[in-house]
Formats: sequence, structure tokens, C-alpha cells
Amino acid sequence: MNHQNARPDINNSHHIRSGNATANIQFDRVGFRYDRDGEILSDVSFSLPQGSMTFVTGPSGAGKSTLLKLIYLHMRPSRGLITLFGQDTSQIERASIPALKRRMGIVLQDFRLIEHLNVFENVALPLRVAGQKRANYQDDVLGLLKWVGLGARAHALPPTLSGGEKQRAAIARAVIAKPEILIADEPTGNVDDDIGHRLIRLFAELNRLGTTTIIATHNIALIPDGANILSIKNGHISGYISGVEIS
Amino acid sequence: MNTPPPNSPAQMTITAQPLLSQNKKDARPLFMVLVILAFLATLTLLAVASGYRAAAGWHDNLDGTVTVQIKPNENTKQAEQAKTILSELPSVATVTILPSEHSKKLLQPWLGDAPLPDDLPLPVLLDVKLKTKQELNIKHVTSLLSAAGIRADIDDHSQWDEEIKRTTGAARVLSLLALALITIASVAASIFATRAGITGQRRLMDVLQQVGAPPSYTARLFSFRFAWSGFKAGAIGALAALLVSVLVGLLFSTSGGFSYFLPGLHLSLADIYLVITVPIILALIIALTSWQTVVKTLFDEIYP
Repeated sequence: MNHQNARPDINNSHHIRSGNATANIQFDRVGFRYDRDGEILSDVSFSLPQGSMTFVTGPSGAGKSTLLKLIYLHMRPSRGLITLFGQDTSQIERASIPALKRRMGIVLQDFRLIEHLNVFENVALPLRVAGQKRANYQDDVLGLLKWVGLGARAHALPPTLSGGEKQRAAIARAVIAKPEILIADEPTGNVDDDIGHRLIRLFAELNRLGTTTIIATHNIALIPDGANILSIKNGHISGYISGVEIS
Repeated sequence: MNTPPPNSPAQMTITAQPLLSQNKKDARPLFMVLVILAFLATLTLLAVASGYRAAAGWHDNLDGTVTVQIKPNENTKQAEQAKTILSELPSVATVTILPSEHSKKLLQPWLGDAPLPDDLPLPVLLDVKLKTKQELNIKHVTSLLSAAGIRADIDDHSQWDEEIKRTTGAARVLSLLALALITIASVAASIFATRAGITGQRRLMDVLQQVGAPPSYTARLFSFRFAWSGFKAGAIGALAALLVSVLVGLLFSTSGGFSYFLPGLHLSLADIYLVITVPIILALIIALTSWQTVVKTLFDEIYP
């Protein structure tokens, strides 16, 4: 089954379509602002079904990162309703947030690798935090590192890695615990187009395994043909393209 | 035989690394502060314990004894008479007439070492020891002695006992105050150190929350690290204080009359237990404080 074909529902008239029982992520008239500033996001409504792969595009400052931060519970919306895994996030207690986060993998533009830990330890971190025994995950981590092309760099410390290697290590860490949702914020921002294309193919591979994938990028040249695209401009959803070839 | 490539999962062994990095250079000033706090806390505890023991000793010496002073007069048999009267009382265990040398010795601080004239009128002192948990009715004894024509002053030492109680009470309050201040300083130092540690490990904390680590997991990392450091610092400080106490105790014991007016600084087995508790309590204080600080920081700054 190609999960990339699962289509997001979007409605710019601020209403989510009903009947999407398998949606992983739902936004209903969500707005977000910092203090008294104007809204960074305004009346954003969409629904991403389980197993979908969606690209969020838009110019810098459009609100892409804010949208992702709201999804991975780094911030709470100023208004509106966000539903994750069928749960209203406004009703989730703080103590329950870590458990929800363990169901998501996150890749950020600045990699966020721990510099004093080698690549293996960085990638194994979600499993270590989840309390798994080292003997149970060591082979999985080494196998994944090999799969992302870092098999020979397991002992290397992050400062000795290239930008592409760091990004692949960050992606490996995001997927090692087999998350239900994978969120990537400008994952190709620090690499050249060639590596960028390879990383996008890597995300597509992960999506084929059933992970709902949402990737924010301002570089539309990297978006594959036929991808689901959510465009954001000035904090509003400005468009939705499904299966349209991007030139 | 073919061997697997070096990066084969089957062959590669990765040694586990601690999540918190070791920055000994940054940790050294705090370690020194904790050593000093432990040193002061241990010295205070030992001084308190020693003071309690000395006060108890003094109290025991005074309790259960009465001194009867027969005023100088021409009747030398009055002392024997008084001894007989006192010995017949049911609460009295023994009565001893102290030799005149004893009375002369008491005058030495005022009259010096020069021999005293034989005709100098001196009071006769009787040391009365009471039976266990018995008291002497001073008024009754005074009237008995008066009836026998003996003019005597009776001192049951209650005035000195009260004085000792007041002094040791004040010392206890001061010592507890000092201990409270040291505890507050320990808490403040560990809050400061934890915050500095959080700043230095901010990236790790962000990543831990990103991968879904519960606040308790992150707090445990920090509190174990700081508690272990606090325990080591506490052990060093406490041992140093114990050493100083032993040396001061030796100095007191060889300084003659100096220790006569001060509580003797003699260590006992209970003191060793006190010394052992210092690093444990310091580690617990630091563990709890750093735990609280990390959890508060996580909830205030990371989990909205």
C-alpha cells in the first residue's frame, strides 16, 4: 500500500470535514499568537489521515515552523482545537505529553544532536529514554545507521560529521522508535539539493512503512511529483495541492 | 573464513556513554563550596554533641550532692556534730568532712600561693552525697542544724545547674541556627549549580523532551549526578572536620587548665555516626533540590 496516496482534508472555510475517523492530526480554526503580537497562524483548519505524506510550504516567516510546533506539542494554540491521535490536545495534561511525544519522531533544521554523544548514542536516545535494554536495541540501531548510510560512522561524534551526515543521524533518531507521526522542519535546509533529494526519498520510504509524514520546506524543487502540499502564507492556509506536478 | 565487515551489527560493540557530559572544570568551584559547607556542618554538629556531653557531665557532678559550709567558730566539734545529724537523714548516702587544705585551696585564687596563717578562721566544708533520685529538704536541714547551735550555709548547687542549663540552651539555639544557615546555603548552592548545569546541558534537555523523556527521567539524571558530587564533597568535608576535631581535642587535653572552663572536645562513637550522616544528608538535600529545580524548569520553560 502506498500511503503517500492518502489525501489530507482541508477546508479554508474554517471547517473540518466530518467522518475522518483515521485522522492522526486535525486542526480546527487554530490560531496562535505570541503575547500581544498579531497572529502567526490564523483560522487554520485541516485534517491529515493516518499514513499520509504532506509537504507544508510557504515563504520564510509564513508560519510553517509554528504549525509543526503546535503538532508536536511544543506550544499550545491561542485558540481553536487541535486533535492528535483522536485526543483533544487542550485536554491533555502536561504529565501525559511525553508519552504522546514518544509516538512522534521530530527532525529539526538544526539537527539537535548531542555533541558529547556519538552517533549511535544519539540515534538510540529515544529507545534509551523509553527504558529499553541496550542488548535489545543495539542491532536495530546499527542496522538503521547502515540503512541511512552511517554504518561506518556509529562511533563518530557529531562535530566530526558533515551536514548531510548530521541530518541523516537526526532522521535516524526520529524514526528508530517507529513513530506513528514523523515531523520534519526544513530537513533539507542545510544540505545541497542532491542530498536533499536523497533525504526526501528516505522520508518517502519511511512513509511507505505506514508513518504519517509531514515535512515543512520552503524549497518546492525538492517536493516529489504527485505529493500532497499544504501552502501557508501570512499565517493562513493559502492553498492545497494534491497530486499536481510542481514545476 | 570470511569475517563480517567492521560495521556489521553482529561485530560492532558500542560502549554506553553517560547522557550528562562531565565538565570537571565547571563543577570544581561548586565542589569546593560543598566541601566547605560539609566541613562547617560537621564541626557544628561535633561541637553541639560535645557541648551536650560536657553539660550532662557537669549536671551529673552537681546533681545528687550538697555542700554544707559551717561558719568559722571556736567549737571544733561542730563539724562532727553536723556530720552525725546529716548522716541520720534518710536521703543522705555519705557525709565527708573535707580537710582544711581543701578550704585553703579555694582561697588560692585570691590570696596566692603564700602559706596562710594557722589562726586564720576558715569554714569547714562537708560534702554530702545523696542517695539516687533523693532530694534534701534544705529548710528542714537548716532548722535541724540551728537547733543544734550550728550556723551553716547549705548549697544544693541548683543555682549552678540552672546556669548550665541556660548556657547549654543558648549554645543549642546558636548551633541549630548555624546548622539551619548551613542547610540553606547548601540548598542555595545546589539550586545555583543545577541552574548552571541546566544552562550547560540545555541542548540535552531540549532533545530529551523532544524524544518524549518524562520530566522525572531528566530530573533523575541531574539529581543523581549532583547528589553523587555532593556525597563526595560531603565525605571530604566531614573527614576534614573530624580530623580537625581530633587535633583540637588533643590540644585541649594537653593544655592543662584551659579545658577546665570549656566543654571537653572528646570524640565518641556517636560522633562518628554524626560524621557519617553529613555526606548522606548533604547528598539528599542536593538530590531533592536539583530534582525540584529541573522539574520546575521543564514545566516552566519546555512544557507549555
